[in-house]
This record gives sequence, C-alpha cells and structure tokens, in this order.
Amino acid sequence: MYSVILTELGISVFDDEKLEKAFSFSNPVKEYLLVKNKESKLNELINYLISIQRGVSVSDESLLAILKKNNIDSQIMEDSELERIQASKPQIIVDSGFASNPQDALGKLRDFALGLSSSKVTEVSESPDLHIIQAINSLDEIDKIANALSSRLREWYGLHFPELDNVIDSINGYAQIVMAGKRESLTKQVFEDAGFPESKVEMLSLISTKSRGGDISDVNLAIVQSIAKQILDFHDLRKKLEEHVESEMETIAPNLSAILGTAVGARILGRAGSLKRLASLPASTIQVLGAEKALFRSLKTGSQPPKHGLLFQHAMVHAAPRWQRGKIARAIAAKAVIAARVDVYGEGLNNTLLEKLNVRVDEIGKKYENPTEKDIRRPESFRRDGGNFRDRGGRRDDRGGRRDDRGGRRDDRGGRRDDRGGRRDDRGGRRDDRGGRRDDRGGRRDDRGGRRDDRGGRRDDRGGRRDDRPSSNKNKKRKQFGRR
Amino acid sequence: MTDQVQIKIKRENSLEEDNPSFFWIKSEGQQKLATENLVPGNQVYKEKLIIKKGIEYRLWDPFRSKLAAAIMNELEYFPFENKTKVLYLGASTGTTVSHISDIVGPSGIVFAVEHASRVARDFLDRVAAYRKNIMPILQDARRPKEYFSVFGKVDVVYVDIAQPDQTEIAIDNCEMFLKKGGYFFLVIKTRSIDVTKSPKKIVEEETQKLQSRFEVLQSIDLHPYDKDHAIVIAKFRG
Repeated sequence: MYSVILTELGISVFDDEKLEKAFSFSNPVKEYLLVKNKESKLNELINYLISIQRGVSVSDESLLAILKKNNIDSQIMEDSELERIQASKPQIIVDSGFASNPQDALGKLRDFALGLSSSKVTEVSESPDLHIIQAINSLDEIDKIANALSSRLREWYGLHFPELDNVIDSINGYAQIVMAGKRESLTKQVFEDAGFPESKVEMLSLISTKSRGGDISDVNLAIVQSIAKQILDFHDLRKKLEEHVESEMETIAPNLSAILGTAVGARILGRAGSLKRLASLPASTIQVLGAEKALFRSLKTGSQPPKHGLLFQHAMVHAAPRWQRGKIARAIAAKAVIAARVDVYGEGLNNTLLEKLNVRVDEIGKKYENPTEKDIRRPESFRRDGGNFRDRGGRRDDRGGRRDDRGGRRDDRGGRRDDRGGRRDDRGGRRDDRGGRRDDRGGRRDDRGGRRDDRGGRRDDRGGRRDDRPSSNKNKKRKQFGRR
Repeated sequence: MTDQVQIKIKRENSLEEDNPSFFWIKSEGQQKLATENLVPGNQVYKEKLIIKKGIEYRLWDPFRSKLAAAIMNELEYFPFENKTKVLYLGASTGTTVSHISDIVGPSGIVFAVEHASRVARDFLDRVAAYRKNIMPILQDARRPKEYFSVFGKVDVVYVDIAQPDQTEIAIDNCEMFLKKGGYFFLVIKTRSIDVTKSPKKIVEEETQKLQSRFEVLQSIDLHPYDKDHAIVIAKFRG
C-alpha cells in the first residue's frame, strides 16, 4: 500500500520506505493552510494517484477528505505509523527532496513555523471586533481626560470669571465662552453662538459685567484658551468615535447591538476580548462582567454575589427599580450571549431575541412590581456588612462557602451571618439586641412573632429610621451599583 | 540566605567549567544570574548585557522569569543544557524562552507554544525572529495534535499557562511529546486555578494529579519573586 504523507513543505508518496513521488509546495504556508482547510485542488497529486490505481493510506485528516472527494480509495494511517512520521519528520523532508540535509530541513521547518505564526498574527489583527474594542476604550479614556481637563479649565478661568462656573453646566458651552477671551469681550453674540437660550444670554451678560474675578494676563489666557481648544477637539473626536463604534457594532454584531445597545455591547465586547470569546462565555459570566471585584469577594467570603457589572449601564437595568435589576440583568445576559453566538456563527439580524427579552422584562416588571420585605431592607444591611467587610476578610477566605453551615462559630462574630436563617432562630435572644439587620431575612422570622410585626406596618417599632428612607430614594441606592 | 550566597559563589567558579548552563555574573556589586547570549548584541526585554572575557552574557531577571526565580530558590534539577530539546507551553513574550534558547544553543531546539496573538506578536518580533533554535507555534495548548512543525520527542516540557485546567493540559502534552524519563516543569499560578482555595492546598492538589504518571522531584515556592506561584519539577515515567 502506498502512503501519502503531508509535511509542512510538500506532499510525498512513499511505497514502504521508498519515495515514489514528491509534490513540493512553492509557498508552504499558504498551500499547507489550503490543505488544512480542505480547499486545495491538488490536481497533480490527484492525477498521479488516479494513474497508479492503488489504495493509499494518508497521514492527515484534511488531506484524506480531499482525496475522498476525488474518489480515491484512501484511509487514515494507524497511530503507530503517524507517530513514526512525527518522530522522523526532518528525515522524511530530506528523503522527499524538500531539503538537502536534516539541518536544512530544520531551517525550512522553522521558516514555515515563523511564516505560519506571522500569518496568524496578521489575520487576528485584522478582525474588526478588535478595532471596535480599541475605539470604545479610546472613547472611555477621552471622557476621562476631557473631564479632568474640564475641571482644570473651570478652576483656571474661574480665577478670572468665577460666576461662570455655577451658571454653565455643559463643558462644551463653557469652553466656547473661554475661547472668546476675556470677560470684557464676551458679547451677547458669543453666548448666542455657544448655543444658550435667550434667558440665559441675558443673565450671562449681566453677571459678566459685575464679576468678582481678577484680571488675567494675555499669556495665561492664551494657555487657558488652548486647553479649551483641546476640550472642544476632544468633544468632536468623541462624537466621531461614538458614531464609529455605533456603525461598526451594527455591522459586525447586529444582534448583540440590538440587545445591549452599541455602547454597552462594545464595552462588554472589550471585557470579553473578542466577539468569538464573548460568544463562548456563559450568560452568568456576561451578567457580572465588570463586577469582578465584587464577584471574587463573594467567592472568597460568601457575601452576596453581584447582580450586574457593566450591564448596569443598560437602560433597562438602570431604569428598573432596584429589586428587579438582578432579574432583568440575568434575562438580558442570557439573550445577549445568544445574540453574540448568532453574530459569530449565524447571520443577519434576528428580531425575535429582542422581542422575547422585552416580553420577559415586562413580565418581571409586573410580577415583581412591589419589593418584598427582603428587598427593602437590603441596602441598609449591606451598608453595615460592607463596612465590616474588610476586617473580616482574611479568616474567611480559605474556608469559603462552607462557612455557612458551620453556624456556631459564626455567631460569635455577630451580625454578619444574618442570611443563614434557620440556625439562628434558636438563638433568638441575641438577635434581638442586634435589632434591625435581622429583619430583612423575611419569611422565617414571622413565626416568631413580635419582631415581625413590623412587616406590614413594617418597622413600626423603629419607626423613625424607616421613615426617612422612603423606598423611592433612588440616588442612595444607586451607590449600590454592582453589589447587593 | 547564607545558603544562597554559598551557591552563588560556587556557581561563579563554574564559569570556567566546560559546559555550564547558566552563570553567576558580578553586576552592580552583586552576583547575578545570566546566560551566554546566543545572538550577541540582541536584547529581549531590556535586560543588561555584560561582556566578560570576550563573551557576552544576558542578565536573567528572577522577577521576570519564573525559571530564574526557581534557580534563586534553590532548584536542584536543571535538565536544560546544550542540545536539549524543549517543548515550552505558554511562551508569552518570550523572556524565559530566550534564556532557554541561550542555554540549549544552536543544536538544541525550543518548540514555543503560545495562543494569545497579542503577546505572540512581541514574541515573534523580539525573540523568535532572531533565534534560529526557536520554533514558534501559535496554537492552543489544549490541542497538541494541531501543533505543526513539532517532531520527535523532547527532553523537557516546561508549562507556564494560567488556566484552571493547566495540569491536565500539561499532562496531555507530555504524553504526546515528552520522552520517557524526560523532565517536566509545571508553573502553578494558584490564583488562576481557584481564588478561593489556599495556594498551598492547590499546589498539593495539582502535584497529586501528577503522581500516577510522574515522579515528583521538587516543588518550589517562588516567593519573593512571584506571589502565590510555585514550580513543580517531575520526571516522566512514560
């Protein structure tokens, strides 16, 4: 039986140990990859094999597939044979005439390896998702730089015209005014050009005439103005980047963009590293991308895991009441990962994903319209937990999750263990004096009467404190971002 | 600490010996680790080049290379020498690979596997392009069957990949490419395997996984050069 052996430098046909025919590659990297991708025609080899009319054994799966497609009676070699080929590769290359001696063969193999690796690097660098990641990261960095420069600009120009800082929120407008120069040269026209409404223009002209600011020298003003110029330029660049990310995302990841929006989608993509890798992640990972710190803390100490990381920026999560956010984030992550898979392996925009997500989010909105007892109390309990967290740190770590079931030891470390309901109950007494925090662990408590009265009338006994924290106090809760 | 000083002095003398693998060179008043530069004039990671008696040496930074850190922490087995064939998984930007390439010399060979294309870019530019004894392979170490250009069995397998299942991946590779009685270096980055467990325990567990196929020779904590890292050296039973 003839054996057909694929090497990096060409294909050889052997009869036993004797070389029958060798087909060398003129461009090894390219042709080798063609064979591997089963795209080669290999006409010469095929014609030769047809002419000899014998069954052949083949050293490579892809090559086998090509031969089979051409109706050549072929089979894959046995493992022992493959191993022998692998071991004596330089010799085979010399025998086939692809190289003049083993040293030469080694050199050629190395050139091949270098060429192949380089072509892979080139290929990866060309993938559009990597460019999106760079774009979104630049965007975030420009924001950071522009913000820092803005506060500096306000401070500096504020020496000359301090009142302006309080009146103008938009940094773009502020920078435009700075560009116009000193206070004296700020005419109504300047304010109008900067895009302020009539009423504001009036006020601005008024305060500019009786400002408390000091004079600014021309040299200083020139520098302040170039800072303002930079900020305006950043503003333009930012806009450009934003549009660019948007259009690119919609081309290469239309489904992901539909679920997450282009900006959040791009940031998640950046975290994952590439679209392909994103598509291979579990939804639960996507849900907490960007909350790694909280996640690992949770793994180490058994504290509550984060509900959302970057996904918090998603409009649906952000706008939802706090107690629904975890559920919504989970639903979004689940759909997002399917979307990423469709983007990588499927094609076109699939609207059913978004529709289903909307249905589910509505459902969550209805089903969990009101917070449960637990949800309401949580922020406070976290704050205390959070405060204590650091000094509890170390001891916990190595004992991880199991901690929970060892109630006893826990107790003496007090309040933190709240969440481990059952155990605690029998030690009722201590609980009481630690008051408030316990309450939040809903159900179980109820049957033990007294303290639970507060459900419904809710915290009556501690009345005062509750009242000043109406559940609509969103700003405070927002600080809990990423954690519970 | 006194032990280390002694070793250093001993190694200093071995500079004159016939076929030394690495050297202790005096630099800035201290004995420092170095290898003989295979490509004189070529720097890989801005390390210092020192010429002594007409031979150029590259200082080997234990804070950058875990193998150097292991030597500093009293590594007892050093199978890398002239003509050694090495399979190196997780070449990264090639710091350690370059020193191994120095040691094995022109007739040795290093098959350097790396998956991430970003670091491979630097590796190709700075290391593989200059050193003729390095065979760069841009492949996932999980699929050893797809390494093109690897041939025969190697004398040493060195694994430095930060994956939760790194030990299993390493064993698969050893089975395919390591010769019987060959040496196996496994860098264990405990924090990449499981953040919740204690580093010590992880090293023990990973070592346990080797027992059936390998004879474990030594296990070295890389403190203070790397935190929560260890190297396990083992011999392949086949």
